[in-house]
Amino acid sequence: METPNNLCTCCYRTYSPNDVFCNGCGFPLQGTEQEQAFYQSERTAKEIDLGELTGKVESARKSLYWIAVLIGVSTFITYFGIEDEQEKMAQAVIAVIIICAFSGLAIWGKRKPTTAMISGLSLYLILIILSAIVDPLSILSGIIIKVIIIGYLIKGIKAVVEADKLKKELNID
Amino acid sequence: MDQQITQPIICSNCENPISAGIKFCSSCGQAQNEEELKTYNGKWPNLKQIALFFSIQLLLCVSPSFFESTTITSSLFFDIISAVAAISFFGYSWQENKHLLKWPNFSLKKLLLLIGLAIGSSLLINFLVGYINQTLFKADFSYYGPFMFHEYGSYLMILSIAIFPALFEELACRGYLLQKLLKIVDKREAIYITSILFFLMHFSLISFFWMIPFAMVMAYVRIKENTLWYGIAMHFFFNLTVCLIDILNPNNFF
Repeated sequence: METPNNLCTCCYRTYSPNDVFCNGCGFPLQGTEQEQAFYQSERTAKEIDLGELTGKVESARKSLYWIAVLIGVSTFITYFGIEDEQEKMAQAVIAVIIICAFSGLAIWGKRKPTTAMISGLSLYLILIILSAIVDPLSILSGIIIKVIIIGYLIKGIKAVVEADKLKKELNID
Repeated sequence: MDQQITQPIICSNCENPISAGIKFCSSCGQAQNEEELKTYNGKWPNLKQIALFFSIQLLLCVSPSFFESTTITSSLFFDIISAVAAISFFGYSWQENKHLLKWPNFSLKKLLLLIGLAIGSSLLINFLVGYINQTLFKADFSYYGPFMFHEYGSYLMILSIAIFPALFEELACRGYLLQKLLKIVDKREAIYITSILFFLMHFSLISFFWMIPFAMVMAYVRIKENTLWYGIAMHFFFNLTVCLIDILNPNNFF
């Protein structure tokens, strides 16, 4: 298994002949073939987990866009039912601000996923509560979609934390 | 990292000397980030605790709206419950929070500057918010209403709007919440998250344009100076200005 220039087979760092394990990735340089295979498979399993977690974070981030879209659609539907011009104006302004907030959070989530998702989830919950104060039945409208979105966001936040932990366990970056 | 200068590093597992900056011990294969990993294990439980804190705060903010109207008794009642909640959360993590109650490097100049900033921005925001409320919603809003007809109304109002929130919101947000978040995310993200949650807890979505920046300044000062007292002073004078404007001009909102 020894490579000519003393390069680790796993992370391609140089190592000195008396190293038992690689300094950079913990690969058992002098272990048996079985030990080395075991190390490789453990590592691959963790990397696959990491990929899955990243996918979850991404779909949670996308659900922030979905919230923006849903709010846009529902405001659009109710907008023409309102008779008072002043009220119409206020509703439209509020909807535009909220849509901008969620889209902004979704974009920001590329760089700061934890912040964007915690903020997005809290904002969404507050909006649900606020509309429930005005009209308690509004909590039931589209409740399945609401639950799905909240579930995605919570899973996303958990995935960010777990992905960070897994990266640390792999001790690479 | 600090250890590397003072003493040679040894592997945390087999105690073999290892060179600085390596990730795995070359004789036993132990990853050299155990301490760091421990903090990572605590992150999800810490986040759940924050979720509990936030839900309780939301509940406290929502419950007044189930009452027909705000009275002095009801608002003081909720102030006291919020205070109890803030103290219990702060006290629950007392070991990690207690240093925030100290005031290292006390600087009168800094304090006066921050108070000046708080009063100035409070005046400006009061003017802007009054203007927005009138043009967009055609409504005036006063905190003074419920307190107006009581003998000591203005004092009670200052107690309920300036003193209580300044003390206990700071204790809860910049104390407990920020300290917990620092264990989960880096400083910058912790500042963002506390500010956004602080704003959301106020249930006033229209005030995002001033509340988030104001909260960010307070969170920044709190992290930089490692004490809650600057934030408490700023928060107190900010709210006091709002109170005084209301008390002095009950019919004339700019």
